Amino acid sequence: MADRNLPAAGAERSCGRNQKNLAAMIEMVNIFKVFKSPAGEFTVLKGIHACLYPGEFVSVVGRSGSGKSTLVNMLTGIDHPTSGSVRIMDTYPHAMSESRMAVWRGHNLGIVFQFFQLLPMLSLLENTLLPMDFCNRYPPAEREERAMQLLRLVGLEQHAHDLPTAISGGQQQSVAIARALANDPPIIVADEPTGNLDSRAAENVLGIFDSLVEAGKTVLMVTHDRSLAERTHRTLVISDGEFVDEIRRQG
Amino acid sequence: MSLRPRWRKVLSDLWGNRMRSLLVVASITVGLFAVGIITASYDILSEDMRTGYAATNPANIQILSDSFDQELVDQIRDLEGVKDAEGIRTARLRLKTQQDGWITLQIKAFPDIDQKVINQVRLEQGVWPPANRQIVIERYKLADTYAVVGDWVEIEALVGGSRHLEVVGVIQDQSIGAGTVGGGFFLAPAQGYMDMQTAEWLGIPSTLNQLYVTVSGDTNDEDHINQVAARVRDRVERSGVLIYSTGIQRSNDHPNSTYVDATAGILFLLGLLVVFLSGFLISSTLSALMAQQVQQIGVMKTVGGQQAQIMGIYMTLIFIYGAVAFVIAMPSSQQAAYALMDFMSESINIKLQGYRVAYPAILVQVLIALLVPQAAAFIPIWRGARLTVQEAISGYRQNLATLGKSSFDRWLTQLRGVPRPLLISLRNTFRRKGRLLLTMTTLTLGGAIFIATFNVQVSLSDYIDRVSRYFLADVNLTLDRPYRIERIAQELKNVPGVAWVEGWAEAPSQLILEDGSSGDSIVLIGAPADSALIEPILISGRWFQPGDENAIVLSELFQARFPNLRPGDTLRLMVNGRETDWVVVGFFQLAGKSGGFLAYTNYDYLSYLINQPFKASLYRIVSSTEGLSEDEQEQLRQDVEAHLRQRGYRMTDLSTGLLLRSSSSEGLNVLTIFLLIMASLTALVGSIGLTGTMSMNVMERTREIGVMRAIGASDGILMRMILAEGTIIGLASWLLGSLLAFPISKLMSDTVSQALFDAPSDFGFTLTGFLIWLGVVLLLSVFASLLPARTATRLTIREVLAYE
Repeated sequence: MADRNLPAAGAERSCGRNQKNLAAMIEMVNIFKVFKSPAGEFTVLKGIHACLYPGEFVSVVGRSGSGKSTLVNMLTGIDHPTSGSVRIMDTYPHAMSESRMAVWRGHNLGIVFQFFQLLPMLSLLENTLLPMDFCNRYPPAEREERAMQLLRLVGLEQHAHDLPTAISGGQQQSVAIARALANDPPIIVADEPTGNLDSRAAENVLGIFDSLVEAGKTVLMVTHDRSLAERTHRTLVISDGEFVDEIRRQG
Repeated sequence: MSLRPRWRKVLSDLWGNRMRSLLVVASITVGLFAVGIITASYDILSEDMRTGYAATNPANIQILSDSFDQELVDQIRDLEGVKDAEGIRTARLRLKTQQDGWITLQIKAFPDIDQKVINQVRLEQGVWPPANRQIVIERYKLADTYAVVGDWVEIEALVGGSRHLEVVGVIQDQSIGAGTVGGGFFLAPAQGYMDMQTAEWLGIPSTLNQLYVTVSGDTNDEDHINQVAARVRDRVERSGVLIYSTGIQRSNDHPNSTYVDATAGILFLLGLLVVFLSGFLISSTLSALMAQQVQQIGVMKTVGGQQAQIMGIYMTLIFIYGAVAFVIAMPSSQQAAYALMDFMSESINIKLQGYRVAYPAILVQVLIALLVPQAAAFIPIWRGARLTVQEAISGYRQNLATLGKSSFDRWLTQLRGVPRPLLISLRNTFRRKGRLLLTMTTLTLGGAIFIATFNVQVSLSDYIDRVSRYFLADVNLTLDRPYRIERIAQELKNVPGVAWVEGWAEAPSQLILEDGSSGDSIVLIGAPADSALIEPILISGRWFQPGDENAIVLSELFQARFPNLRPGDTLRLMVNGRETDWVVVGFFQLAGKSGGFLAYTNYDYLSYLINQPFKASLYRIVSSTEGLSEDEQEQLRQDVEAHLRQRGYRMTDLSTGLLLRSSSSEGLNVLTIFLLIMASLTALVGSIGLTGTMSMNVMERTREIGVMRAIGASDGILMRMILAEGTIIGLASWLLGSLLAFPISKLMSDTVSQALFDAPSDFGFTLTGFLIWLGVVLLLSVFASLLPARTATRLTIREVLAYE
């Protein structure tokens, strides 16, 4: 049974502790994002406030153009808010340079894109190894074994040495998840991860997310498909740049 | 007035992606610039050399002889086919430089210096003609005298003692080096011009010894000139005057035109190559442009655009690129060509006619600007325009840029043990194989030419080294008259550092043809049969031996001129006024054309023939230390000069052995500089190509760069990956260019050598070119990748991912 709780939009607040007495892992406070174009200014996010706690599986749903991807970009440091602040654990990523933020992101956030975005010239194994190389995580000798484990986790161990073009879209998305997990980040952010997949492949991806949450990861998934959102602990509904609803489920 | 939408699209494509437009325009501009500079230079050079030289009313026939008088000149002027004739007196004296050294001065004294019409000189500074006891010096070797207009110079008189003359002017004399003997322009000593009265005051005989003749009729018809020359020679000989040498020169043939001819062939080759390379660049850049335009093409087709209309849009875009490149390249190449020629004009003794527009260059540039970009762009545009709407809209081709199934690609895919970022660079390098091929071709050819330039220089200097084998002594001395060799050897033994001395004989002679008429002039040199100061390179037969009498060894020019002449055959020569028969015992190799007709024989026999047994005016002096440097030879030369001067001997020439080598290389340096400029241009085309390729690669991989950023790639990693990719291309092209440099070196050396020496070159090789190009190509690779790499690090992920 879901209970509804509408936050007061635009209010300057900080996140408290949750029912398990855990402090918020991600805190977004009063985020505004304004795009300037020759046609004038366009406010995409209008005072977003959100708190995500460790081990939560949270979905953000909304129609096309509602601002969900922009919201994800604020969270991942891909884009900067016009005003407001984002804190992830003890870090304010927007205070960092692009280069430092890239390394920080590699350590702490695993990102899964709608279009998989595997590098076409690298094998699946190499794609999975890449974040470890970039961030110099794990001793070099252990990296390959870890990457193989992750591919095993998503069921693609036997394709480890194939190029991305050799496997299906659903399989590519699974490799993208394995890559997102490479540095063992505490947070996974997925932007429409099943948007380009058939229902069986989508189910498989969600299964992987479920098991990650069980293993203690915090997962934020953006989707326009409300039925997928049903699988998450909490759903934030965004419309015209504002959260208009929050649906909590029995976790 | 509003533009139709399709032309507005052309404008927005031009302006919308300024970096890409800049690259295309730059590739076309460099090609046009190179072709422009080559065509304009050659146009200016050949025209100004020809007209400039012809304007001096050059002598078509130059005869060096024994003494004659003005009466003979007047008689010759009346001969059929002769337009004008002048007699002058030449002599070699020693001039004391303003820094107290002594150098050889070639004196030219004219009976009516103010009415001189043949071989006119051009006044650069001061006054012309010089009055009594004044001298005018030629500009080329003026620096050797350290004198300026207004100075007084000391010249050793032939009658003993020395005289002081005022330098009143500096002139340019384009006739230096004309005629078959004398070693040409670059070996010529300083030249001084004066009237006969001044020459007599210096002890020079008042008779004449050189005849300048211009012919009437076609002054550029060599057969005609030869016919007139035969008549003139006949007349001179009938007056009892001994002819030493005859030179034939067409009015349009500047004495240094062989150097220009030598460069022309190479420049033409290079020009074609640069156009070819810039065509490659354009094609490669436009393929990338079309790949980016695929979706727009789809949209245009959906709304009714036909293939021809779409091609029209892009062809117009290309036309504008070509036009902009032409507007930049045309005036700049004209200016650059003129500046380059201005710089070279002094080194090769020509006078430029003043800045002017070289129209042939503009014509070539217009043609290339119109045709080459259109031709290079046609295939990419045609391919793009014929995509179906479905292919275009669905972004077909987007995934083509990945590794394929070839064994090389499989090897790359299976490559292990390489750090991932380097692996990415390595595999990225080979993703766009067509583009890689174009870039590699440009850089490889550019590099090969660059390296070849250095090898050409070596093979040419090997040629000069070959000439040096006939001049192995440390110091070469010419005295004003023959002395007993024993006496001079005794004298020179008192000079510290002198080990031994050889006396050589030299006699001008003339070939007597089968019909009894006189042929070419030959320099006949008599050396001791056991001389260690000559290391001949024999082509056939043998060198002369002790005891040989009328045995003669001939230079390769004889073989070229008389292909049927063999060792064992007999030649008839006029030596010292007597016809004598000689047995050819062998042929030696000197330096082709530039060596002239040279023959060696036994000193004993020649000295007897010229009535100077045991005597010589030519001496070869050898130091007690082996392998002296040019400076050390110069020191020895000065010691010899000081000693002989103190003992009252008069010298007409005294030079170091290595001087010949360094003077000869001066002419070749002019060539090398030109070649290096061209090589740098090809390298520039190559580096623009590489910058273009790297920029296009980065542009196309924007999304991948965003992904790498998203999974933790720092600025440093991104920069290193892109720089590594550029460096891999650079190194691979260096390797291929190094291999290609071998045949190109041979081709270029042969072209130059054939023009200069009339003989194919020996293969010259130096590591210098390879190493310098390695450094250059690595630097170029880094610079070419730096800008794209910076662009990559500045891309925010939002730009590349969030808004697809």
